[in-house]
Amino acid sequence: MGDYVWFHDVSWHASYAVYFFVIGILAGLSFISFGSWRTPALRPLREKTAYASFVLLGLGGMLLIADLSQPMRFLNILNPAYLNFTSPLAWGALNIVAFSIASIVYILALRRRDEKNGQLLALITALLALGLPIYTGFDLTVHQSRPVWNTPIMPVLFVALAIASGSAVGALLAAGNTEAQKVLREYMLWSAGAVAVMLVSIMGTTNYGGSAAELTFMIMTTGTMGLLFIGVGFLGGSVAPALMLFAPMGKSQGVVLVSALLILAGSAALRYVLLMAPQQLQTLY
Amino acid sequence: MSEGSKVSAGGGKKRYAMVVDTRRCIGCMACQVACKAEYDTPLGVNRTWVPYKVVGKYPNVKKQFLPRLCNHCEDPPCVRNCPVEATFVVEDGGFVLQRYERCIGCRSCMAACPYNARFMLPSHRTYTPITNVVDKCTFCFHRVTQNLVPACVQTCIGRSRVFGDLNDPNSEVSYLVAKNATQVLRPEEGTKPHVFYIGADRNTTEFGRDAYQKREVMELERSAFKSHFKI
Ligand code: SF4
Ligand code: SF4
Repeated sequence: MGDYVWFHDVSWHASYAVYFFVIGILAGLSFISFGSWRTPALRPLREKTAYASFVLLGLGGMLLIADLSQPMRFLNILNPAYLNFTSPLAWGALNIVAFSIASIVYILALRRRDEKNGQLLALITALLALGLPIYTGFDLTVHQSRPVWNTPIMPVLFVALAIASGSAVGALLAAGNTEAQKVLREYMLWSAGAVAVMLVSIMGTTNYGGSAAELTFMIMTTGTMGLLFIGVGFLGGSVAPALMLFAPMGKSQGVVLVSALLILAGSAALRYVLLMAPQQLQTLY
Repeated sequence: MSEGSKVSAGGGKKRYAMVVDTRRCIGCMACQVACKAEYDTPLGVNRTWVPYKVVGKYPNVKKQFLPRLCNHCEDPPCVRNCPVEATFVVEDGGFVLQRYERCIGCRSCMAACPYNARFMLPSHRTYTPITNVVDKCTFCFHRVTQNLVPACVQTCIGRSRVFGDLNDPNSEVSYLVAKNATQVLRPEEGTKPHVFYIGADRNTTEFGRDAYQKREVMELERSAFKSHFKI
């Protein structure tokens, strides 16, 4: 009774989670485009995934800039006189620019049907794409006072989510192509399984991690957040598709497509909860 | 903010710190008001604030106050995380300050600060064009460099807040820190805060019972609290 609590705002809002989601998909699509040089079954997806990844990059970039409260100053982040290399955001900005350039050069090579340089450019683009989920993971990991964020698993989890959601979009793009879907089924199966395992370990360490971590666990697993995290993200978006794809009927096209949709819904929900839930408790400090 | 202003007159560097003696705080919130007046801080955000908890059981009850502000940390995660060095440490004095004209508003520093010391300025303000960037307590850099104490310290009627140079063995803060048991907030975060509390109560330094509410309840309260933003 009569306590005076000052409520603070969360720092990052849901639009940032949408950005994480988009960045994950585009990274996953770049992996598939590179994979098409190694795995003939993925060949029909080579151009499609490269173009889709580039379009999503434009969308992600716009989301990121619009999320700044000073959007017109986004160039400050690329000003060498300002860059602060202890911030993962600075590395992220450089990574995005490098990825954009590599993507353009790669798409030009694809349009010229330049088989000689194409594979190397695909590799460079995919490696830079790998940096995107890693940097977004570090974006959260470096905040020492935030439970869940401040765990070494975040960048790895974001890479797994990128593979899962990218492969899911790839599977949708490859609808009707059973050969490609067979390969993408494997990608989805193992990445969704890996996501589920990492979520279990996050839940375990958070639930037994001291008062702030335990309270964050409570926020993540109850109410609407709980429904999104446990229901949509963990059970619906990683455990269920992993089981469905593993089961004997997992190779059928219907199951692959349903799993892809589940993975996409789940990875969007997970991005939202992983971003928002660990910020809630801090607002009360 | 003029970064060139000289802080120390002599050769040695200063390290400013604040001591908050919570036994002397009467919860008048004059510091909060003085700070608001000094900076025209908008509604809904504060550079300093004085939360309190009622502790004990009737008839043995007490209000515990905990004046809060930026801790001007020795190892500030906000500075480490700013991608454009819009927030920085003034080596001589230890102030953690903002370059408003450089800040891109990514709010990384807000996420990094374990103390909620930072906030986003609204897009409309009456007396100053500084909007849509992150702001925080400056330890009244502009006053301290003119040999004045911060506005909150000046106005503190209980003399709960004391400000001075920790590197000067004759300063009052040095004396208070040496002679009293002091606490800093969330020392486990490794930030090395430079606001030292005497007699801080764990009811106010730990996450309170509000944290055990469901998120929906917290959200409801928070949106009611922030409703003036919509006016
Ligand atoms: S209290 Fe927060 S804003 Fe102030 S210096 Fe420390 S980390 Fe930065
Ligand atoms: S909001 Fe401004 S001061 Fe804070 S980290 Fe971003 S650019 Fe730096």
